Amino acid sequence: MAAARYLAMQRTWRLIDAGARTVGVAERAALGTSARVAAWPAHQLARVLAVVDTELALLDQQASRFRPDSEISAVCRGADGAQGGGSRIVSEGLAEAIAVALAAARWTGGLVDPTVANALCSLGYDRDFAAIRGDGAVPRGPAHVPGWQSVRLDGRRLRLAAGTGLDLGATAKGLGADRAAREAAAAVPAGGILVSLGGDIAVAGEAPVGGWPVLVADEPEPVGQPPAPGGRPAQFQPRSRGQVVRLAAGALATSSILCRQWRRGGRTLHHIVDPRTGLPAAGPWRTVSVAAANCAEANAASTAAIIAGDQAPAWLAAQGLPARLVARDGNVWLVGGWPAIDEGLLDPPSTCRMPAGPGPVPGAAALAVPAAVDRSSPPGLARRSAGRTPPGPRRSPGARRWR
Amino acid sequence: MDRDDAERPGWVRLPGDDDDTSHQRDAGPWRGAASPRAGGIRRLRRTSNWTAAALIAGMAAATGYFAHHTQPAAPAVSTVTGAAPGVGSTAGPGKPHLSGPVATSTGSGVVVTTGPGGVKTYHYRDN
Repeated sequence: MAAARYLAMQRTWRLIDAGARTVGVAERAALGTSARVAAWPAHQLARVLAVVDTELALLDQQASRFRPDSEISAVCRGADGAQGGGSRIVSEGLAEAIAVALAAARWTGGLVDPTVANALCSLGYDRDFAAIRGDGAVPRGPAHVPGWQSVRLDGRRLRLAAGTGLDLGATAKGLGADRAAREAAAAVPAGGILVSLGGDIAVAGEAPVGGWPVLVADEPEPVGQPPAPGGRPAQFQPRSRGQVVRLAAGALATSSILCRQWRRGGRTLHHIVDPRTGLPAAGPWRTVSVAAANCAEANAASTAAIIAGDQAPAWLAAQGLPARLVARDGNVWLVGGWPAIDEGLLDPPSTCRMPAGPGPVPGAAALAVPAAVDRSSPPGLARRSAGRTPPGPRRSPGARRWR
Repeated sequence: MDRDDAERPGWVRLPGDDDDTSHQRDAGPWRGAASPRAGGIRRLRRTSNWTAAALIAGMAAATGYFAHHTQPAAPAVSTVTGAAPGVGSTAGPGKPHLSGPVATSTGSGVVVTTGPGGVKTYHYRDN
């Protein structure tokens, strides 16, 4: 009953019925979303939760742009105030998080860019999501995205161009899941661990028989109004049915334009910003799930696919990453060996596709095609040309329609 | 096996009920002792066949029984409140088998939980 004692002490985690006595599952709010941890044998859950708590606290302190006392907030304030940008030594943890974000930018030809923070703020996502007002004024226009090349990281020395803000949202949760799963597995003598941060999932250790069963879902649609902060959870109904897959190793991440939506000037905005336009991505996919060797890579790939649009299936297939793409019309496309049946085993590559260091990246240029939005048009969301109907997904090699 | 097989080069016909006199004639100098010895071999062969079949059937039945009725030697302590008995089981020495999803991969902010009876509840968790 160690887990129960730990939960009673922490008052944060709540136990979840996993349907198997030898597996312990718990969940709590974290990083502006939810964290869920599963561990077997169940008696190791308390130890695992303690490790995950430590990792989440570290990541939050290092990389949360919504905490004024976080390290990344201090770094960005320094870059804002300094003429010609700022330079400082950052912690090893933040350096790793920024290095992963820069690697994702190189890998995706700049589609996943950590310098979209100012664009997100200009669109209204300038505070923790739960605190965003229901509606607001129309943004003055898309903010300038300096580009990931304006960030220089040399070991722990970070240099930012003036006015560069960092948002690590496309990789940080995945990195956090990787860290937590890895550290938790190292802290227990045997068994297996699953860590999910807002749906970005990493596993470590030994998986249950057949792998960890995970429901891959398109974003549910609210039945009623979103809950007030601190209020009771609202009930949602699924817009389209999901698929249960089994994950024995590696990681799985999902990005969707259907979540983290807010309204400005009568328009619905979402949190996945195309760095080429500074505006929410307007491609043909509403939800993309990707399996990869680690969760940061899966997270970066799923975000890049949302932004890349038509080029995404071919790029994912070329990378050998199993992926499930839900088009705006609800049709589901599978690439890279994603199982077509329920309970199918996901088999992500055992090695990383995202290069760790600088250098030419095969396929990156092909992914980052010119944006669909004409930036020369007058500023303002109401006048942007992204209102046109997005092109339907083209059948690409290795892609198949599922239903 | 056709009766003609005994005539093929390199083939030796084993004694049986359908032995004919021509086969016995081929026994040559062993002709006088062939009948009781052949009968013994035939009985031994039949006994061996039935024994092997019985062993195979017994092993299959035992394997099936133990596969479905074995309990874990040391059941893990249940720390999951409200665990539905019988829904999950173990296979091998403590390695669990999960019949339902333990997590959901979806866009950030929504968590799906499965309650009693398989009822799914979608929670908005941006807090």
